[in-house]
Amino acid sequence: MNDLVLIRKNLFRRKLRAILMMVSILIAFAIFAVLASFERAFNAGQDRATPDRLVVLNKINFTQPLPISYYNRVAAIDGVAQITHFSWFGGYYQEPRNFIAAFAVDPENWMKLRDTDFVFSPEARAAFIRERTGVLVGARMMEKWGWKVGDHIPISSSIWSQKSGSHAWDFIIVGSFTARIPQADTNVMLMGYDYFNETRSFGKDLISWLALRTTSVAANERVIEAIDGMFANSPYETTTDSEKAFSKAFAAQLGNIALIVELVVGAAFVTILMIVGNTMVMTVRERTREIGVLKTLGFSGGRILRMVLGESILLALLGGLPGLGVALLLITKVRDSLMNFVPALSLYPDIAAAAVGLMVVFGIITGLVPALNAMRLNIVTALGRS
Amino acid sequence: MRSIILQILAVTAINLKSLPQRLWLSLATVIAVGLVVTVLLAFLSMANGFRRTIADSGAEDIAVVLRSGAVSEINSVVLRDQVRLIEDGPGIARGPDGKPQTSGELYLTVNGIKRSTGTKASLPLRGLGPLGPGLRRGVVITAGRMFNPGTNEIIVGRALGKEFEGFELGQTVTFNSTRWSVVGIFAADGSVFESEIWADLPVLQSLFKRAGSVQTVRARLTSPAAIETLRAYSDNDPRLKLDVMSEAAYFAQQASNTSDLIQKLGWPLAIAMALGSLAGALNTMYSSVAARATEIATLRAIGFGGFSAFVGTLVESLILAAIGGVIGAAATYLVFDGFTASTMGASFSQVVFNFQLTPRLIGQGLLLALAVGLFGGLFPALRAARMPIVAGLYG
Amino acid sequence: MLSPADPIDPMIDIVDLCKRFTKGKETITIFDALNLAIPRGDFVAVMGPSGSGKTTLLNLLGGIDRSDSGAIEVAGERLDRLSESELSRWRASHIGFIFQFYNLMPMLTAAQNVELPLLLTRLGRKERRERVETALGVVGLADRVKHYPKEMSGGQQQRVAIARAIVSDPALLLCDEPTGDLDRSTADEVLSILQVLNRDLGKTIVMVTHDPAAAQYAKRSLHLDKGHFIEKELVA
Ligand SMILES: Nc1ncnc2c1ncn2[C@@H]1O[C@H](COP(=O)(O)OP(=O)(O)OP(=O)(O)O)[C@@H](O)[C@H]1O
Ligand SMILES: [Mg+2]
Repeated sequence: MNDLVLIRKNLFRRKLRAILMMVSILIAFAIFAVLASFERAFNAGQDRATPDRLVVLNKINFTQPLPISYYNRVAAIDGVAQITHFSWFGGYYQEPRNFIAAFAVDPENWMKLRDTDFVFSPEARAAFIRERTGVLVGARMMEKWGWKVGDHIPISSSIWSQKSGSHAWDFIIVGSFTARIPQADTNVMLMGYDYFNETRSFGKDLISWLALRTTSVAANERVIEAIDGMFANSPYETTTDSEKAFSKAFAAQLGNIALIVELVVGAAFVTILMIVGNTMVMTVRERTREIGVLKTLGFSGGRILRMVLGESILLALLGGLPGLGVALLLITKVRDSLMNFVPALSLYPDIAAAAVGLMVVFGIITGLVPALNAMRLNIVTALGRS
Repeated sequence: MRSIILQILAVTAINLKSLPQRLWLSLATVIAVGLVVTVLLAFLSMANGFRRTIADSGAEDIAVVLRSGAVSEINSVVLRDQVRLIEDGPGIARGPDGKPQTSGELYLTVNGIKRSTGTKASLPLRGLGPLGPGLRRGVVITAGRMFNPGTNEIIVGRALGKEFEGFELGQTVTFNSTRWSVVGIFAADGSVFESEIWADLPVLQSLFKRAGSVQTVRARLTSPAAIETLRAYSDNDPRLKLDVMSEAAYFAQQASNTSDLIQKLGWPLAIAMALGSLAGALNTMYSSVAARATEIATLRAIGFGGFSAFVGTLVESLILAAIGGVIGAAATYLVFDGFTASTMGASFSQVVFNFQLTPRLIGQGLLLALAVGLFGGLFPALRAARMPIVAGLYG
Repeated sequence: MLSPADPIDPMIDIVDLCKRFTKGKETITIFDALNLAIPRGDFVAVMGPSGSGKTTLLNLLGGIDRSDSGAIEVAGERLDRLSESELSRWRASHIGFIFQFYNLMPMLTAAQNVELPLLLTRLGRKERRERVETALGVVGLADRVKHYPKEMSGGQQQRVAIARAIVSDPALLLCDEPTGDLDRSTADEVLSILQVLNRDLGKTIVMVTHDPAAAQYAKRSLHLDKGHFIEKELVA
């Protein structure tokens, strides 16, 4: 036997009570881990973007187009290292509700720019550049629809139509790619701009936005001024922003998710703090006499304090760690159904680590008052008058 | 019967009198239940407010025509010829001058700054013709005047003006290197249109290089049933690859995704938290039974039935939960009811809405609270009823 | 410290001990100027009316309560000069307590209860187990190692408590009405064990009791009344 055995035996003295407390702690930590991961995934765009990445958008709004001619003009600006353009395809597969995130890009330059996020095999790289009607599909999208390289797939657009009047394009999947970093979302499809531009019935030579990497972060300011200055007072004015700032502003449009998460997690924690804290005080009060006996045997106040704190921390860990497990299970379960909304959803290691830290803090908070009471307990009063 | 009621009253009185001994634990349960109800009602009133703002915007006798598969106005493109064909379609009401009651409209988004956060947000800019405002319920200019056709003038929805900066009456804003003056503020019966900026259609078409095409056509129907006639007409004409639906149906579908999502988040969270506080309630009630073991046993020894011990415990638990539920509902009402928020709607643009707490939602919250009280009291009550008298007396 | 001239080697040496309790404005004086010397190897029964201060005296001897003035020396240590934590450490190695209501930990087995004081020592697991077995053997409960207190009779529980008191081999055992809750024959068993501990293992024992028959097991008995001792030698 050692102190840990003693602590464990104390904790499980009233099994039902201990289990009930663990259940409420489990739920609170599961809520914390799920919501924190959710918020993190929601803001993954900001996390992924390195500071040297900029986006050039139409000044009116990002849904307004830019002329393709801007591509070469911006590429020529001093300080622009790599650049690609994007055109929003508004795709769906078979039914409008089967949304497909698809973009028309300049294949070669897009892959160069996204090399830090994705892994492209040499075959996929070559095929995507070579095949005009080919599309490159991310691993998760392949998995979601059960597609294979070589498949012919009809993708409809909710915006564009072909000159024939058809809303659907037939594409061949020429390759796939995987994520290099966890925040990178592979639930996307890329097509060659040239083919798309030639076949669409309107909006010719217009793109949605440009994405570029500067030669160094220090050049950002200068590049931004050069781009926006170049197109000032033209029919298509631009606003150039860091990709991080753009992602952040876009995420913020849904509302203050962080605040909602904080409020809910706060409410859940206040609940268990009160329940567990009060129960711990009660538990230790019931044990007054035994603590008196331990002290009589020679256990010091400090040791008793550590034992009670140990008990509350053990309780928090026994409730909280399974809570993390439940969170992991939940996240894996809802991951696919929320793929469009929060693509990078997963239980991030640092969130799990923070949760474990919180468990210890929680254990200390709930155990502190009873532990101090126990430490200060007067032996003679504790042993009572019997 | 009378005796049973008296017994129950006596036991309940004893329970409630001993409550101060467990004051903190009982209080913790009450607050825990209160927080659960607050979280649930906050989400439900948010979902409800959002859904009502959008779904109530649509009328049954207005048809919305979009390009097929477009899902929302922002994606849609309806070409000039298609507009003409629709105008000539069946089931469309005509004005006293014999003209069809239709409005071809553009739906663009422009940047604005949200007052509360100072961040950029996309706002809808709608171009509409002279008949457009009349196709919407309760549109009135509350300040200033209507825009003049052919000019760079805009009128701004009341809700949008409150939430976003720079759209006060008399101000000018710049889109596409042209300056626009805000000449009026309009209300539209609290509908989603109050989150929009309106301008003259032809002016927008030329400035945004969309000459000739629009994005949607709205049409007043001769009757709600006429939608079927119009749809059949569109489906049978190969030149019209269009979706025809009632405005009510269009907005219901626009609202459902977001409000479903909010509800789908709210209920599981509230239920998870309810389970957490259920553990707390059980804990409290077991302690209550343990604390009153002697009293219960004494009463049983002088002839009280186990049933009264059962009911007395259950009532204590239900009362605690009910207090928590009422506190939670009151807190939600005070903090969240009427709270204005905005979020991205289905068209990538902002929709301003208010949280709306209704008696039905409050009822749901209280039911959840009572469920916690019921389950939290049930097992401890059984234990109280089954407790051996001797153990209680001498334990 | 003892002066070398002292004829006996006292386990307990109390000089002019004063102990008061204050409750609000009222002050009760339990001991005014108590003097007591108990030599090593003694077995003393302390008797006296209820409220005379017997338990208080044991608490003072065991260092779980503090005196107001006077000197109290137990097993060579001036208790009135030790701090709380020093007292804790001292108790762990010098004192064994035996209570009227056993005060065993309900969630621990007999062996684990006995092992408790050894957690305060540096002994390894194997040594601890041997000691626990020996102690339980002394009280005749070698076969009850895995039993929980609620599975044992009062007499057995008290024997476990005795084993717990002697397991760390303290020189002084303090017993507060150890047989107060037991019937005659069970009480006799427990008292015989105490007697053996005193006679064969040389433990000094101070035992508070109300039972004259129990006092018969001691070498001598002291009578506490109105804060002073009246000694009565007994024929063992
Ligand atoms: N913590 C305390 N506060 C106030 N008075 C106390 C306290 N502890 C003991 N006393 C008083 O001191 C006196 C002696 O108490 P003590 O417990 O030592 O008596 P006792 O001789 O052991 O009696 P009994 O035979 O009933 O056990 C009593 O009058 C008691 O009321
Ligand atoms: Mg006493």
